[in-house]
Formats: sequence, structure tokens, C-alpha cells
Amino acid sequence: MLSENVITDVLLAALSTGGDFAEIFMEDTYSTQIRMLDGAVDEAVSGRDFGVGIRIFQGWQSVYAYTNDVSREGLIKTAREAAAALRGVPAGKTVVLARLAVEKFNPVRLEPRLVKHGDRVAVMKRAHLAAAGFHEQITQVAVNYWDVDQNVCIANSEGLLVEDRRVRTRLSINAVASKGQEKQSAFRGPGRHMGFELFERIDVEEIARDAAQSAVTMVNADYAPGGKYPVIIDNEFGGVIFHEACGHSLEATSVAKGVSEFSGKLGEKIASELVTAVDDGTIPNAWGSQNIDDEGTKTRRNVLIENGILKGYMIDRLNARRMGMEPTGNARRQSYKYAPTSRMTNTFICAGESTREEIIANTEYALYAKRMGGGSVNPATGEFNFAVAEGYMVRNGKIAEPVRGATLIGKGSEILQKIDMVASNLATGQGMCGSLSGSIPADVGQPTIRVAEITVGGRKEAN
Amino acid sequence: MVFRKFKERVFAAGQAAGLEELEIYGTRAKQFNVRVFEGEVDDYRVSLEQGMGLRAKFGGRVGYAYVESLDEDSVQYLVTAAKANAQINESEDEVDFYAGSPDYPRVSCYNEQLAGVSPEERVSFCLELEKAALGADERVFKVNYAITGYEEAEVYIANTKGLEQGFATNGAYSYVSALVRQDGQVKSGSKLLFDKDWSKFDAGKLAQEAVQEAVSLLGASSVSSGGYRILLRRDVARDLLSTFVPVFSAEAVQKGLSLLQGRLGELIASPSLTLVDDPLLENGAATAPFDGEGVAGRRKNVIEAGRLTTYLHNLKTARKDGVESTGNASRPSFKSPVGIAPTNFFIEPGQAGFADLIQALGDGLIIINVQGTHSGANPVSGDFSLGAYGYLVQGGRIVRPVEQLTIAGNFFRLLENVEAVGSDLEFGNPGYRGNVGSPSLIISNLAIAGI
Repeated sequence: MLSENVITDVLLAALSTGGDFAEIFMEDTYSTQIRMLDGAVDEAVSGRDFGVGIRIFQGWQSVYAYTNDVSREGLIKTAREAAAALRGVPAGKTVVLARLAVEKFNPVRLEPRLVKHGDRVAVMKRAHLAAAGFHEQITQVAVNYWDVDQNVCIANSEGLLVEDRRVRTRLSINAVASKGQEKQSAFRGPGRHMGFELFERIDVEEIARDAAQSAVTMVNADYAPGGKYPVIIDNEFGGVIFHEACGHSLEATSVAKGVSEFSGKLGEKIASELVTAVDDGTIPNAWGSQNIDDEGTKTRRNVLIENGILKGYMIDRLNARRMGMEPTGNARRQSYKYAPTSRMTNTFICAGESTREEIIANTEYALYAKRMGGGSVNPATGEFNFAVAEGYMVRNGKIAEPVRGATLIGKGSEILQKIDMVASNLATGQGMCGSLSGSIPADVGQPTIRVAEITVGGRKEAN
Repeated sequence: MVFRKFKERVFAAGQAAGLEELEIYGTRAKQFNVRVFEGEVDDYRVSLEQGMGLRAKFGGRVGYAYVESLDEDSVQYLVTAAKANAQINESEDEVDFYAGSPDYPRVSCYNEQLAGVSPEERVSFCLELEKAALGADERVFKVNYAITGYEEAEVYIANTKGLEQGFATNGAYSYVSALVRQDGQVKSGSKLLFDKDWSKFDAGKLAQEAVQEAVSLLGASSVSSGGYRILLRRDVARDLLSTFVPVFSAEAVQKGLSLLQGRLGELIASPSLTLVDDPLLENGAATAPFDGEGVAGRRKNVIEAGRLTTYLHNLKTARKDGVESTGNASRPSFKSPVGIAPTNFFIEPGQAGFADLIQALGDGLIIINVQGTHSGANPVSGDFSLGAYGYLVQGGRIVRPVEQLTIAGNFFRLLENVEAVGSDLEFGNPGYRGNVGSPSLIISNLAIAGI
């Protein structure tokens, strides 16, 4: 992309005011988005994102600049503008670049630029037909398709020079069921770090019908009872609870500054001994996987919690300095427009020994959260809030009536301690995670778990 | 200007490729952002960002493409990609490209004085902000965010029907969040300000507000579940309104995704409620002479004394409904297709101050924060169920802080149940859902789940 001479000159310009580390992140990304409503494509956008981000450290201080002007002059000007923030003198650093070969464990076969628009639309139509034809109460189906081909080049003043390519493909289905004036929608969004071969791996029709089933069940459901009682959270996207309530608090972004409830707790018991959790950016072709992170560090499998004991955090370069620890391959960013920071990749609670059936049979009264919606968390206090997209009551060891409108609220640290059953059916779901460095693809996951009690927000009195 | 030259090349290449109509939407933005932590600048960002989106018609259908580098490769890419995207478009909607309004309002969107504030002044403001928050109360142990930023942008639109318009806009913002601790309990409080008037940026005042809020929450516990009279503080009322902005879009109505379908002219809210969309609002963050299709902006009431008077339209939805565009075509970025969004969108303030509203509430809860609006609220059904905290009020006085609640209800019922509207209108952080503002509101009943 850029010549080694230009990279070296820009890095030196960035270090001209006393910075002790400089980095360039160059990106050339092509993407295609198609939207289909009720079986007809009504919007399609293609785009090319192209620019360079420059980052400078001086101790714990960080400066970031980006530009679309990628001429040698434009880049040096941007580097100098960023360097102006430091007002020091050059430390006399030299830069000797050495190209690093990346081991590629996310093979891509059908790359986006070779895929025909017609094939994309055909997959979308299949999804539409399966969902729309599922039930007479399905009144609307929206299908979205997204593929992206991101080419990055990362170089820094320590001599690193590395290139990587990330190809991702995702289909999402939103089914709306109506009953009188009431409407309920359900979402499914399978995606992988791969090309169009995604559609050889997933059953588009089955996923679309599953979304439709969920919407129909919910539009016919009554409201969930509010109160504090046991909750069984199902596998796959149920892992969003761990992602939001615990994962974010294990990111160095909040740990390094001591604002996370898990700061300074390495080696301590922070969860029930049934809980082992990892963040693993090395799973071939998984949605949140990358060969290298956005600072050029190889991704890894990081154990976060082992049998309830806090074992590790997710750490980027800058926070590694604050914490006196090594980066863990978790630095990520939406694009060159964002300075990278510690983020999750594929994060999940590991399989336990029970089964879903056992958990339900052993529960007298609970909310069974079969599908979780999204949620958010205040990392300072660990207080979280999740929507339950598809819920049922469990009574006397059996799944009873479906319920809607429930939310789960509580504190991450308390929930971790209260997990009292963990099944073996680990599965993952795909999400877009939004935080300081933008919106990035991340897998969430877990087996079916039971939490002894959570505050459930609902509109009826508990009974 | 860089866009004008590039436009000529794109239009020429597009017409050669058989595209029937072309429209360019370009922005060029400069941004500055600084974050202070423990007396040091720990994050400093500058950027220059430009890009251009092409909207083109082929076979009567619309296709989009965008680029960020304005070179010869990009000319070809734009034309080829937009044409391919038009070819798969199956929408039956007629789309008009706009030749231009006869007159454009004179509005000031660019504050010269604000533009003249130096990066050094902004940095020292931010340092002062953190210091003021740390010193505001002895229970403050950390200021987790002290941020100040500035942005300015040029917007350019031109099409083959002869439209060519542009304007410049700018704004500054600041955010502070402080953590306080007492008896092992940690609470946070924050304050956000977005304004074009630099004299409104008073570090001491912002820090005080954030810290006072955090301190006021110490000792919070839950309340029992049930129905309560509720006072939604202005920022919470705004967050809820902002969450349900899509229900006012004519596109959502036409697609059957809004329960306001078929309700024009009807009473949909308490008669004390008037909802305004005003792109000409003085000092408004979303103030602009024209919308994302080049249609001149104008002020209108969306709800007038409780009655729904109009949906928000762009040219496409207006044509479908046989009405005039309300000037609400949105282009959140040059990458985005034309959509619909409000501009400066706010509930008209009433007479009562916040203290008067607490008095009027009598017995109930004040909600000062809700979480999870992006997941715990369904813009189609209007249902919401959100984590919340605030204060318990008895006999018109704040008794104690309350936490770990969820408030649950329905947006449309909430509009009907507005009992009083405060005088304390405040806007939030402008975003793709417009620049939304609200005064504090008393709601006669909402369900609360506590312990």
C-alpha cells in the first residue's frame, strides 16, 4: 500500500516532538450492503473506505490523528499536527522496518469482489420466503446482507510492518408478527469471517423460520412478571449477558484506570466455580476472529476466568503500559477513524456438565430466557440491563407459557457468583459490539446456564 | 472547492455510462477531541475527513455508492457500483431528484467565535473540568471522563437537475463523569453539553452538576414494585423521545412500522404536549438551510396540543402521500442513503420549574437516568422496559435515592399520560436521530419493578 520510505518518514515526523512510540494504520476497504423489505430489494450501497490513522504515545499519553489525504505530504502534515500535542523534543529514535509474515487461519474462498449481485439477492430471497411463509401472523420480513473486504497495513516505530486482510459476510433477518394493533419482531444475524461460502455452512431457511417462530410466539405472549427470581439463560446469543456484564469490565480500557469492578482482582474468586470463560480470537473463520489485532499483535486464546478465579484481562498496547502487563492481541477498531483499544473478539463461557433438560427439570419457578436481545452496562458500577427477546416461564420443572417485555437488571459481579448450573451445549451468536473504538464484529456465547436470582423488570406482579 | 471539480468528472462518467440522473452529496469535516485523566492529557485526536456519496438513477431505479479518496479510480468505482446497485433495486417507489427551492432561509450554523478557540484553550478547559470535578466533593475518588471536543463540517449537494447548494456548520461539546464512594458504595454522575456558544462552557458548573448528582445517589436502595407517579427529568424524557423518533417518520408509517399510521389529526397525546421540529432554531445543533435532498428547511409542529399534525417527510414519502416534503430528508453521512430524521426536535417547554414539578408530583419517583434504550425499547410496539434510578418523592419532597429499578410502559400511553410539562428544555448529543430536546415531564402512571 504505502512504500516503506513513506512509512518511515511519517513515523519519524510523528516522533518529532518527543513521542516514544508511533504507529500507522492504513486501510482500504470495500463493502456492499443490500436491504430487502418484503421480498424486494429497496436499497443497495457500495463503498470504499480509504484512509490512514496515526498514533503517538509518550508514556501513558496517546495522540491520534487520521486523514483521507494519503499523499506523502498529507500524511506528514497530519503526523506533525498530532505530534504538536506533545510539545517535547525528539528523542533521537530511528525506525528500521522489518516485514512480518502473518499466519492466515481464516481462509476465504469466495471473496466479495468475485460474488455476483444476483447471487447475493438470491440468498436474501430464500430467507424472505422462508420467514414470510412461516405463519399468517408474519406481516413483514426485512432481510439485510453485508459483506466487507478490509485490507490493512500496520507499521510502528518498533519496526513492525504487517499486512492483513479481513473478509466478513453476514445475513440478517428481522421478522415482524402482528396480532391486531400489536407487533413483535425477532432478529437473527448469522455471520462469519469468510466469503460467500458462508451460505454453504448455514441453513438460511431454518434460520429465517426460527426468527419467524420467535416473533409469532412473542406476539401471542402475555407480559412477564416483574420481581427477583431465578433465570435460565439459554446458549448461543444468551452469552450477551457475559459479554456486556462481565466482558466489558475485563477490558483493559476500564481495568487500567481502576474504574472496573474487576480491577486489581487477578487470582481472586469473582465467579461461581462452575464458570470458566475465555476470549479467543483464533477460532478459524469465527465472526470475531482476526489473524492479527489492529495493532499488529497476533490474536490469542485468553483465559479470563477459570473455575471462578479471575485469570486475565484483555489488553492493548497503551493500557499494557499503564498496567505493566503484555498486550493480549485484543486491540481492535472499527476503522482507521478510531484509535484502537482493548476489545473482545469471540468471548464465551465454556461448557459445563449439565444439560438444558436437566436444568429445566430441576427448576421449580424461573424465567427461561431463550433468546436475549441486546443490552448495556455501566462499567464503573457493573450495573447492566438486558432485554429478553424470547422468554418463557418455567413452572415445576417444565417450560410453561411464553412471556414478553422482560428485562434483566443487576450487577455483573453478583450474577457471576449466582450461576448455579452450567450445561454442556456451548454455542455462539454474532453481534456488533459498540464501544470507544467503534462498532466491531464480536461473537458472544455460552452453554445454557441458570442464575439463582436476577431482578426481572416486567409489567405484572410476580406470581 | 474540491467537490465541485470532482462532481463534473463523476457526472460526465455517469452520463457516459447511461445513468439517467446523478446526485453528489459530499462532506468535509475537521474534528478535535481531548480527554484528560489524572491531570494529564491522555487522549488527543485530530482528523480531516472527506467523502462523497453518489446517488444515481438507472432504469428509473436508485443505486448508491461512496468513496473517501477523490481520485480517478474513485470516479469509475462510483459510477460502476451505483449502476449495479440500481440494477438490483426492485422498489416501486418513484424518486425525484430536486431541482432546488426558490428561496433558502438565512440561518447561522457556523459560529466564528467558536471556530476561533484554539486547541490550547480547549485543552486547558478540559484540564480545568477534571480538576473542578475532583475538588467538588471529598467523596469524589475518580473522574472517569473529562472530554472536550470541537467539530466543523462543510456540506455540499449537487445534481444533474441543476441543484447546487452548500453550507458550513460547527459545534463544541464537553462531557464529564465523576465517581464518588461512601461506605463501600460507588455512584457515578455525569453531565453533557453540546453548544455553539463557547461562553456556555463553564467547567465549574458542569463539574458541580455531575458531582452533585453522584453524591445525591449515595445510599440508594430499591423500592417495591408497582405503579408510581413519575417525574422524568428532562434528559430522561429526551432519551425516551429520541428512542421513539422513528415512529414519526412517514417512511415507517408507510411501511406499517409505526403505530401512528392513520392517526393524523387525532389526539395522540396529552393536550399539554406540543412537539416541534425546527431546522431554523437559533444556535441549534441540527440547524441547516436545507435537508439531505436540498429542500429548504421550515419549522412545523408535529404534535400540536396533543394532536398529530404531520409525519416527517422526504420527497419520496411526500409524493406517496400526496403532500409537500417537510424538509426532513436525512443524510447522516455521505455513506448513507437518503432517509428521514428530525432536525432540532423538541417538546415545547411549559411554565413549571423543576422544583415546582417535584411539588406537583406529590408522591412518586423522579427518574434521572435510564439504561438500555437501544435494546429494552421496541420502536414498533412502543413498549419499553429500562433499567433506571432516581429519587423517591413523598409529600412533594425528595426523600431518598433509589436504584436497580426498571421502568416499563408504552411510549404511546406515556404521551397520553403526560400531566405536566416543565420549563427546563434541554438538548442532548445530536446524532443520526436528530437533535432531540425535552423539558422534564410528569407522567401519571408507570410500572416500576424493584425488589
